[in-house]
Amino acid sequence: MIQKLPAKKMVITGDYAAAYGALLCDVDVVAAYPITPQTLIVEEFSNFVNDGITDAEFIMVESEHSAMSACIAAQAAGARTYTATASQGLALMHEMLFIASALRLPIVMPVVNRTVAAPIGIWCEHNDSMPQRDTGWIQMSCEDNQEVLDMIIMAYKIGEHKDVLLPVMPCLDAFILSHTVEPVDAPSSDEVAEFIGKYKPHAVLDPDNPMAIGTFTPPEYIQELRYQTHVAMEKAKNVIKEVTKEFASKFGRDYHGLIEEYRCDDAEVVLITVGTVTGTAREVVDDLRQKGKKVGLIKLRFYRPFPAEEIRKIAENVDAIGVYDRAISYGSGGPLFIETRHALYGLDVPVLNFLAGLGGRDVVTGDVEKMYEILLKAKEKKPEKEIYWIGTRGVSI
Amino acid sequence: MYEIRFHGRGGQGGRMAAEAYALAAFLEGNYAVSFPFFGAERRGAPVRAFTRVDDKKIRIKTQVYQPDYVVVLDETLIETEDVLEGLKENGMVIINTAKKPEEVRLSKPVRCATVDATSIALEILGRPITNTAILGAIAKATGKVSIESIEKAIIEKFGARLGKEAGEKNAKAARVAYEQTLVGVAQGGKAFIPRKKWLPDVNEMPIGGAIGTMQTEAGLVGIGSFIENKTGDWRTFMPIIDKEKCIGCKLCWFYCPEGCISMQDGKADVNYDYCKGCGICANECPVKAIEMKREVRA
Repeated sequence: MIQKLPAKKMVITGDYAAAYGALLCDVDVVAAYPITPQTLIVEEFSNFVNDGITDAEFIMVESEHSAMSACIAAQAAGARTYTATASQGLALMHEMLFIASALRLPIVMPVVNRTVAAPIGIWCEHNDSMPQRDTGWIQMSCEDNQEVLDMIIMAYKIGEHKDVLLPVMPCLDAFILSHTVEPVDAPSSDEVAEFIGKYKPHAVLDPDNPMAIGTFTPPEYIQELRYQTHVAMEKAKNVIKEVTKEFASKFGRDYHGLIEEYRCDDAEVVLITVGTVTGTAREVVDDLRQKGKKVGLIKLRFYRPFPAEEIRKIAENVDAIGVYDRAISYGSGGPLFIETRHALYGLDVPVLNFLAGLGGRDVVTGDVEKMYEILLKAKEKKPEKEIYWIGTRGVSI
Repeated sequence: MYEIRFHGRGGQGGRMAAEAYALAAFLEGNYAVSFPFFGAERRGAPVRAFTRVDDKKIRIKTQVYQPDYVVVLDETLIETEDVLEGLKENGMVIINTAKKPEEVRLSKPVRCATVDATSIALEILGRPITNTAILGAIAKATGKVSIESIEKAIIEKFGARLGKEAGEKNAKAARVAYEQTLVGVAQGGKAFIPRKKWLPDVNEMPIGGAIGTMQTEAGLVGIGSFIENKTGDWRTFMPIIDKEKCIGCKLCWFYCPEGCISMQDGKADVNYDYCKGCGICANECPVKAIEMKREVRA
């Protein structure tokens, strides 16, 4: 239970927004293990507990692996749970992520995207969350702190939906959001409670009604369970669209479902962006539009489930598509690039990959302009290569 | 290519038999593969292993569904399941039993070889481990490998694990079994009620595999289903407790992995509905009040 919280405008960090979002959702159990740049999230939440704003169980665990284990156990006992992590911490959690999704436990866990060592860095890179692609978690990226808070709220509603029952991982870029303050509108706790409703688990561990979950299961059964989870992830697409629509009508902020199109209507070339680069890219698009260039932007919100149909629909009407990635799958390409090309199979449109901002390097407007420049050239003449390492010393583009 | 399916119980060494047979075939210049199918078994559970032999590389990686030969290491298995399932026409079954082939009753009349591998093993090895003796019977019944190759394979495989002397003893068990194996035709006509299996489709499968107690067409599944799934028929040796000798120390109760020993009037008592006959109780009893006796079934 939480105290009644009025709607208010705050100037807060992305980490605070993530913690406050969980507070508004009246979570029952929070497992906490610190890692920069996530630490503030669980620290802020511990303050809420300390101040008596919530009576949530705050469990300090000895590792991220234990944090996810604690959430899994609590969620299986019927609690609404929450934790947060980043980078190496997420990597350590990896094996437990599969368990959370396969047991169909809609845990919500923000991930503050931080580079995974080596070498050690604390800044933004997506090579922590993207390798979690196949763990069965819904995964999405935020553009600003408002979206972080709103997404935590929507994450519970999406994950707990009876057709979905999957854990959700909202991602926010290290420092660029996590430690940056900006104005955020927070709804009241009553409004949030009404919006997300009560958590209705599909099965609860209860000594009075014994139940076995995650037990030894022979090959006769596991394939059907895998299919169920796949179908749930597919169904999540519609649920995400419905929930964002409902959120927009209730709170006045529209996130447009799986992707947001920005000035794509008559665009000749379109760039797909993820995370905070989206905001910078909007500026570049406006600037180029003013100069008469027909350029557009797709803000990719969800990596899983992947909005293949939505992207394909736009791609059918453009001359070139670019995909921005802040992670690299060595020997292939950026994860979003690989995914996008798969979605566009059979379409005769050049798909180019732009890698920038790895290890937390700032992605500046000039970098994004370069991406559009290459795309506009690709519209005229078939490009010689597909993958461009923007701003990498000694690598020509 | 020919294929063999081994039926045994967990702990009887069916897998080792299947592997040693493959090695024997290999020693004669063949290509051979052998593999077990592991379930959730423990000692005593019905288990299967497979061997394939060919004169060229074997590429197929599936389990064996239409074997040329079926080998049964444990006679009790022919009572509870149709070991002939999928056996090729003109196929043959090789059974560890004291009976003559003509006295064995199966679902169909088939070519059948029998050998009392348990008695041979008890006599030569001092333990009822039949997986080497049965190899001698396979050599005799099928004529596909020589008994010399079987002996070589046993010495190589079992000797490496158990020492030279044990390897040679096991080879001797195979040789004796080879000499005693009878070949004939088994009787048919035994009816088996196929065991139903709960195979829910994706819509019937509980979400996330979370399961309480469920009544299905195949009986109870999930929590508490062992009320119906009794494991007493896994037993080949049964513990007999001498109540006079029992001092009520509870060591057997403590060590029983199945929790099927209880104390009645201060003395140990076995629940034979569930006892799998592993013999741990007899091993642990400080006053030797528990004797493992060969199971006799009607």
